[in-house]
Amino acid sequence: MKAIATKLLVVAMIVTTANAAPAKGDDFNSVVKMIEQFYRVKHVGIPFLAKAGMKVGMTAARIKGGQARRIAEAGSIKLAVFEDQEFNGDFTKFRASLNEALNATWMPLIQTLSAQDEEQVYIFLKDAGQKVNVLVITIEQRDATVVQVTLSPRNLALLLKDPEGTGKSITQEATINDQE
Amino acid sequence: MKTLLIAIFLILAPVFAAQAQQDSRIQMTALDHLAAKASQTIDVNIDERLMRLAARVFDDKDEDEREVKKLVANLKGVYVKSFEFETAGQYAAADIEPIRTQLRGPGWTRLVNVTSKKDGILEVYLLFNGEQVGGMAVLHTDDKELTVVNIVGPVDVDKLARLEGQFGIPDLGLGSPKKTKNDDEK
Repeated sequence: MKAIATKLLVVAMIVTTANAAPAKGDDFNSVVKMIEQFYRVKHVGIPFLAKAGMKVGMTAARIKGGQARRIAEAGSIKLAVFEDQEFNGDFTKFRASLNEALNATWMPLIQTLSAQDEEQVYIFLKDAGQKVNVLVITIEQRDATVVQVTLSPRNLALLLKDPEGTGKSITQEATINDQE
Repeated sequence: MKTLLIAIFLILAPVFAAQAQQDSRIQMTALDHLAAKASQTIDVNIDERLMRLAARVFDDKDEDEREVKKLVANLKGVYVKSFEFETAGQYAAADIEPIRTQLRGPGWTRLVNVTSKKDGILEVYLLFNGEQVGGMAVLHTDDKELTVVNIVGPVDVDKLARLEGQFGIPDLGLGSPKKTKNDDEK
């Protein structure tokens, strides 16, 4: 009887450990690779963006017509850009794969799919102690961006109040073109 | 024997705990296939972890945020699924039936049912745990639109309107009952 109990305890411990699995090392890169494989596209590296005049995380964004303010914490921005490529594929399948890959470590906040504009926006959150990591994935007809930033509690409040608008502002902040 | 019982309890406790928390959680995955037909799909998932995070970040000094913070403090989750269609008839009553079946379950009571020619049908359901409201569901159906909002946990119905337009919850006119209620009600 004791042997059975011990086995059951071991099973319980395994189940508990599996549920509390730590975050994967680099989900940002995994998402970029997933987009590349699913849509057969290639992202553009940061040095190329710098040449093109893209500022990465240096410019404040305007939220809901209010005052311009910096959203992402300084130095926290990870960015991958896909430019002028075909994003043909079943978006419901892509969404399912994305959720399956991220749901263990990230919390899905909002996902919007617009068949009319062929636009997909996904926002995931991950607790990072006093702050929170945000992953914003935007896929349009010919362009896509993957942005990961860290937000302060104050800016997380903004995101929760207006997930769609603030999510767009995060992407805008990360990718704004200096030459425009 | 005692060790065996403890082991069984350890294994089953999380299962029962999850079950108890899911009482007012409406399973909406049955609607997912509509995304392929919809011109716009919005899917909001704010689970208990995010709710705890939200309660932490809202500012007590701001009156509006203080109210929202109080409102969300005990909530276990907010879930929204919304579909907009180009043309009418893209979804059928059968598509919503899995949702309605859950709302016909024990504890659920339909509080509001407003039919308007202009705004479609708005139904508000509450889940009562004894005398306490343990959750809420809002079902808004229109020719070209379908929205399901599910708030899990104790809800202060009077203050609920404060959540509209926040957390991805669409403005459903819960704060000010539709003007058309008397005029258009069938």
